[in-house]
Amino acid sequence: MELTIRQAAIVKKLCWTLALSVVAVPFLFPFLWMISSAFKNANEIFGQPNLIPDVWRWRNFVEVFEYQPFARQYFNSIYIAVLVTGLTLILSSLAGYALARMRFAGAGLLMLFLLSALMVPEEVTIVPNFFLMKWLGAMDTHIPLVLLPVFGPHGVMATFLMRQYFVSLPKELEEAGKMDGLSRLGIWWKIALPMSRPALAAVAIITFLFSWNLFLEPLVFLSSIENFTLPLALSNFTDPYGSPLWHLQLAATSLAVVPILIVYLIAQRQIIESFAMSGVKG
Amino acid sequence: MSSLKLRNMTKTFGKTKVIHGIDLDVLEGEFVVFVGPSGCGKSTLLRMIAGLEDISGGELWIGGRQVNEVQAARRGVAMVFQSYALYPHLTVRQNMGFGLKVRKEKPDSIARKVDEAAMTLQLEKLLDRYPRELSGGQRQRVAIGRAIVGDPKVFLFDEPLSNLDAELRVHMRAEIASLHRRLENTMIYVTHDQIEAMTLADRIVVLRDGRIEQVGNPKELYAHPDNIFVAQFIGSPKMNICSADALAPELTRAGIPMEGVEQIGLRPEHLRIVPDGGLINGQVALSEYTGGGSLLHVEMEGAGRFLVLSEGQEGPQPGDEVQLDFDTANLHRFDAEGRSLQAAREPVPA
Amino acid sequence: MTGHIRTGTTATRAPWLTLRRREMFEGWLFVSPTVIGFLIFFLGPLIAVIIYSLSEWNLLSQQMTYIGTANYRDALIQNPDFWHVIRNSVIFAAGLVPLNMTLALALALALCRPGRGVVFFRTAFFAPVVTSAVAWAIVWKFLLQGEAGAVNQMLAVIGIDGPNWLREPDWAMAAVIVTRVLKMVGLNMILYIAALQSIPRDYEDAARLEGAGNWQIFRMVTWPLLAPSTLIIMVITTIGSFKVFDHIYLMTGGGPENGTLVLAFYIYEQAFEFFNVGYASALAMIMFAIVLVLALVQIMLRQKGSA
Repeated sequence: MELTIRQAAIVKKLCWTLALSVVAVPFLFPFLWMISSAFKNANEIFGQPNLIPDVWRWRNFVEVFEYQPFARQYFNSIYIAVLVTGLTLILSSLAGYALARMRFAGAGLLMLFLLSALMVPEEVTIVPNFFLMKWLGAMDTHIPLVLLPVFGPHGVMATFLMRQYFVSLPKELEEAGKMDGLSRLGIWWKIALPMSRPALAAVAIITFLFSWNLFLEPLVFLSSIENFTLPLALSNFTDPYGSPLWHLQLAATSLAVVPILIVYLIAQRQIIESFAMSGVKG
Repeated sequence: MSSLKLRNMTKTFGKTKVIHGIDLDVLEGEFVVFVGPSGCGKSTLLRMIAGLEDISGGELWIGGRQVNEVQAARRGVAMVFQSYALYPHLTVRQNMGFGLKVRKEKPDSIARKVDEAAMTLQLEKLLDRYPRELSGGQRQRVAIGRAIVGDPKVFLFDEPLSNLDAELRVHMRAEIASLHRRLENTMIYVTHDQIEAMTLADRIVVLRDGRIEQVGNPKELYAHPDNIFVAQFIGSPKMNICSADALAPELTRAGIPMEGVEQIGLRPEHLRIVPDGGLINGQVALSEYTGGGSLLHVEMEGAGRFLVLSEGQEGPQPGDEVQLDFDTANLHRFDAEGRSLQAAREPVPA
Repeated sequence: MTGHIRTGTTATRAPWLTLRRREMFEGWLFVSPTVIGFLIFFLGPLIAVIIYSLSEWNLLSQQMTYIGTANYRDALIQNPDFWHVIRNSVIFAAGLVPLNMTLALALALALCRPGRGVVFFRTAFFAPVVTSAVAWAIVWKFLLQGEAGAVNQMLAVIGIDGPNWLREPDWAMAAVIVTRVLKMVGLNMILYIAALQSIPRDYEDAARLEGAGNWQIFRMVTWPLLAPSTLIIMVITTIGSFKVFDHIYLMTGGGPENGTLVLAFYIYEQAFEFFNVGYASALAMIMFAIVLVLALVQIMLRQKGSA
């Protein structure tokens, strides 16, 4: 039997959907498995990989908080990420604005310098920064976790993202602000920033996630358990012999990941666009 | 009293000089138009007056005060931008009151001034809208309203009509003219459109390559252009220019001194088609019907192609041989450098 | 210059703080926090790392001794670990980059046009990108366990006896590559989608009118037009693959038998576990050089492409 064009299109579409669904399994299954295992006991985790627990063990979520100061660690991650995001927004939009709009001697050279920073991985400067922080007495504090992301390659990337956006804005609005008597700071705050909401949102989103997921810096700079941030805390659920306490680890991981996933599902369009914006910088 | 004084103003970007020593006096209440082809420096000059570009050399005086190093907002000038530059996140009312608010005026005084300006420009009903909810013409009026509110000594307009369609442009042109009559402020207006310049200006400043070519009222510029550039820039369709050699014998016979004349110019509207006895012979190459008449492209013997405005519905057809005549008073003579050799220049009443 | 006019009028002298100077001053004020932070936390450390790399650092006496290029010679000539690590890094990159980019492009082509289900799949493929690398590594480490792991249990259903993925050097490398691709491919997918959407539809329509099929359109129209994006994505991905640390640290710890010991991890180990500061700094400089060369290659290729 011959298929009509319409039927052929439907069949084709079904095949595509099926293929994509198969590909999607290794992307989605880990999340589902993580969440379901968070409710399992240690034995069941090693049994059949079923997604509905036989026995729901809610105590996992209590034990997470008993085993280590997880609430404190959670709070650490939140406040550090908020601080990093706030500082990055202010500094990157200030510097980005100056680089986009103001003519000052050395601006070109400065751009070149900052651009070159994008090429240097954090791993290269972490050793001297370690000694710098030691000298400053900032070991085992959150100071390096705030300062290094703000002033490191990520901060530079944010500055360039803001600069590109400012350059694309119509200049006449700012000139009107100048005629209206605004100072430079006033133009930045009252005209340039309100028009740059998409770029600011992008910087905020990627910066928050960057800080939230930071691992190397906490690993290097933090030593006391109550100072840990989430990524470090998650890798720290081990029994006294050093082997992982899987059920607790997965419960804690779920607690760390699920809120981000929920926000992501709500704002997926905005979040994906933000990454696209930052990626184009290259 | 002069409201604006430019003394040897220059502007350099890096190593290139874009404004070469401009001297100009603008009288109180005068409507002055800067006109010229794109890249002539007219906008740069305006922006230097506004304080948006710094002044590389020379002096700028506004209202008896040297303002070279005075910030834009303190110069007592207001500007209407080409793109209107209305803040998208503010309503019309907030847009118009923004400058006053920045200058820390009292809210009731701001409200009064905004209402006044809105009344002048019939914007009362639009005050609570956002710029995106306005038509092009309305935005244009808000942009003017914002300038009026601060009661500036000098209004600056940077090609304010270029974003409007043809019909609205004519309408807004008339509105700006009547606004000037009512407010009696000094206005400086930049355009590349010579018709806008002719219709609005008390005085026109023709600029080319960062230099003033000629300053004068519209009639002066039309009747007595100083050089070929101004002659061709003012007036539409533009003036025909040809080498003097081709017509020198005839013109000398007609009693016109042709000594040192290298080129001559004749405006299309000053040429008449005559049955016989015309000074020049030619053949119609193309006839463009314009409604009221036709624009003829006439191939002249040894003098290139002339544009001729012919009135009436029954003009000559392509291929026709025609004879052209003109009033010798309307003949423009230029020397080798393109400067006008107008003998006695009678002052033309403005 | 025509200075006579200036002297002829009653010009007030220009104040010291001219509008121009003011703008310059303000400009530097705006960038100063960024610049100061940049100098302290970036440029300074970068210079320091060069100095460290030429020194021997005695932790007990806290003294630095200049030893010239000994650390570099140590890495490049004497220490067999180094080349082993470089080999691992290259294998990691050589496995990850083509896999990541091919998958990213395939997914982008499938999902670049709006349609039913497109948003769902895009969201799904991008979800790992916003997830922390730690969480991703923890879960996959578990899924890839020898017998109890979900992956092997599923393979058993179709009759395959899966290896103990993370305990055998070759399988471990393959496993970290694939799981890393799953984590990051969403990012390249959206970069490709953005690039695809910026190609005017007209080209495809014109090709279709001339009778080109899907594959021909891709080969003759889409792929050449994507070339600049492909280049950028490739370099970003390659540089990223040389920087990978947390993923390896958490999944294999560099093992088994140093089978997944890559450069970034090696630097960390030398600096913060064995405290070979000088040696680690030399390694960091070598890493910097590798990344720099990759970036320069990108710039050169881009210029060649545009010429």
